[in-house]
Formats: sequence, C-alpha cells, structure tokens
Amino acid sequence: METPPAFDSEVINAIFKNVWIKSSKEKKDEVDVIEVGASGTSKRNRLITAKPDALKLSCQLLQEFVTEAVQRSADIVEDEGGSKIEATHLERTLPQLLLDF
Amino acid sequence: MGRDVVDLGKKDADEVNEEDRDRLDLVRDRFRLSVISICESQARKNGMDIAEIVVACISDLAFNMSEQLAKDLELFSQHAGRKTVNMEDVILTAHRNEGLAAMLRTISLELKGKEPQAERKRKKTSRDEDTCILE
Repeated sequence: METPPAFDSEVINAIFKNVWIKSSKEKKDEVDVIEVGASGTSKRNRLITAKPDALKLSCQLLQEFVTEAVQRSADIVEDEGGSKIEATHLERTLPQLLLDF
Repeated sequence: MGRDVVDLGKKDADEVNEEDRDRLDLVRDRFRLSVISICESQARKNGMDIAEIVVACISDLAFNMSEQLAKDLELFSQHAGRKTVNMEDVILTAHRNEGLAAMLRTISLELKGKEPQAERKRKKTSRDEDTCILE
C-alpha cells in the first residue's frame, strides 16, 4: 500500500506565518498611532511561532476536513447510484460539514 | 502623514507586499496540489470519480479554514501567555466536535511518543498544581 497523501507541514507553516505577520503588522499600526517609533525588533519578538508537532497536528486536522468533504459527498452519490461526485453533492453536504469543523 | 519617513516606509511595504503575494500564490498552489491528491485518493477508495470543480471548491474551503485556524491558534496561545503554538491549541480549535477533538488527541499522543497513561496522569495532577499555585 502506498502512503496516503497528506499536507506538507512546511506549506501549512507558510500559510500560518503569513496570517501572523499580517496580524502583527496591524497591531504595530495600532501601537504607532499611540506611540511613534516602535522598533522593528519588538515586532519580530511578538511574532508567534508553531511547534513542529503542532503543525503536524494542524495538517491532520485539515486532511480530515478534506477527506470528510469527499466522503460525505461520496455517500450521497452512492445513495443516488451515481459514480461521479459533482458540485451538487458537495453543496448538499456543505452546511453540516462547515458546522462540524 | 506627509513625512518623508512615512512615505519611504510605505514604498518598502508595497514592494514587500508584492513579494509576499507571489510567495502566497506559490504556497496556495502547493496547498492545492495536496488537496487534489487527498481528494482523488479518497474518491478512488469509494470507486468514484470526482469533478474538478468540487476539488477546487474544497481546496478554497480548506485554505480559508487554515487561515482561520492560524487566527484561532494565535489567540489561544496568546491567551495562555505563550508565543509558541503547541498541540493543545490545535486540539482546542476542534472543541466543538468531540469526535474530532478525540481523534486529534490520539494523534497528538502518538506524535509525543509517550504512553497515554502518563499523559492522563499528568492532566489529572495539573488541576492540583493549579490549586497549589493559588494557595
């Protein structure tokens, strides 16, 4: 059996970093309004990092979301006796799927 | 406003933003590739085909979800007074779905490579520790 496909921790880390950099910039702007001259190092110090195992777990969470999306749609297709997952099948599973994650 | 320093800063920021955007596009593509392979393998397990638009849609959903996840993780770790995100934060993001949280907890234990018993003991005692600190 081949190893099942999964997300790359590196990619997830890059996505997270991007969001965190954005939010730290926003915070920096807020600080600047009150206090001009905030140093660059303090911004870098404030930036959040993720532990490698936390990233792996996030990959698992996202992978579960994707497989669940496909599996629930596939279940509907099976009930209908079809053989291809179409947009309408995903549409019907979406409300509950989004509530569950 | 109107000061030279501010203008220079803005120009730099614009250049950085463009680079950031290119990098984000690359990341998004790599993310999409992973989603495609996961979707197709899951569809194959069911002996079904999957429409491309469905995969694209799931990919966008998952990407938005990962960005939301990043925001949650930042808030949770900050709330705990930390600057690093750990596995507990990730498990906490799934607190609405008990099954999912339990699944993540099992995986987290596997990743830690510790026996589940030791983990449970630690968690039970952690409450006592808290009260000790309070006293």
